[in-house]
Amino acid sequence: MIISEKLCNDVTVISIKGTIDAKTAPELKKFEFASALESPVVIDLSDVDFLDSSGLGALVGIARKKRDQGGNVTLACMNNKVRKVFEITQVYKLFDIYDDVEAATLNAGKK
Amino acid sequence: MTTMMTLPSDIRYVRLASLAALKIAEIFTECINTKMGNEDFCHAFELSVSEAFTNSVLHAEPSEQENTIILSFCSNSNNLTVTVSDSNPPFAIGAPSLDISSYPENGYGLFLIHQLMDNVSYARENGTNRVSMTKQYHMTEGNNL
Repeated sequence: MIISEKLCNDVTVISIKGTIDAKTAPELKKFEFASALESPVVIDLSDVDFLDSSGLGALVGIARKKRDQGGNVTLACMNNKVRKVFEITQVYKLFDIYDDVEAATLNAGKK
Repeated sequence: MTTMMTLPSDIRYVRLASLAALKIAEIFTECINTKMGNEDFCHAFELSVSEAFTNSVLHAEPSEQENTIILSFCSNSNNLTVTVSDSNPPFAIGAPSLDISSYPENGYGLFLIHQLMDNVSYARENGTNRVSMTKQYHMTEGNNL
């Protein structure tokens, strides 16, 4: 799994590439977001091929931390398999979700 | 058809286990219906094996001998069963109580397995845990989740 971060119009866009499971989820939990505290966060999942409950838990942890700071986490570009995990567990309710990064960044920046 | 695979009880092998489950489910669907694959059916096995394998690794006790996990896939004309076996201490795998509304960071694994599979059973035999997960394949349906 590869995690990268960039700032787009005052929105932090975090891109994750690969699989998020019990082996890789701890890396995501430990990742120190350089600008996440001050700006809205978009997580681009377009290059995530598979996510299990460990990955789901890591994303929930990020969202809860951000909520405690008064913000939200927006998710973008889930494939069908990733979307299914969010739907079954109803965890999608915790996030704003968009089909593309541009729309996610635009709307996250308005909040 | 029965296919078996023995892997070290090591979280580094979890993706290998889940990919093996995905591929075997794909072969199963190809065998019974060459024209219609079923992404949801195959994903159910990929995800459930990832969860069961992780659960097994987390319950393993330190040992001088290498602990292993055995994946056993057994198919017939309309269903596929995967059994995940290990020699760890016994554990409970009943239907989980999960308060989804509180958005916990843990505890989704068993919940997902029970949601994805048609039948989930646990047996303890001769010091071995066996978690069996079965899903029916409905040939007239493109999506049976």
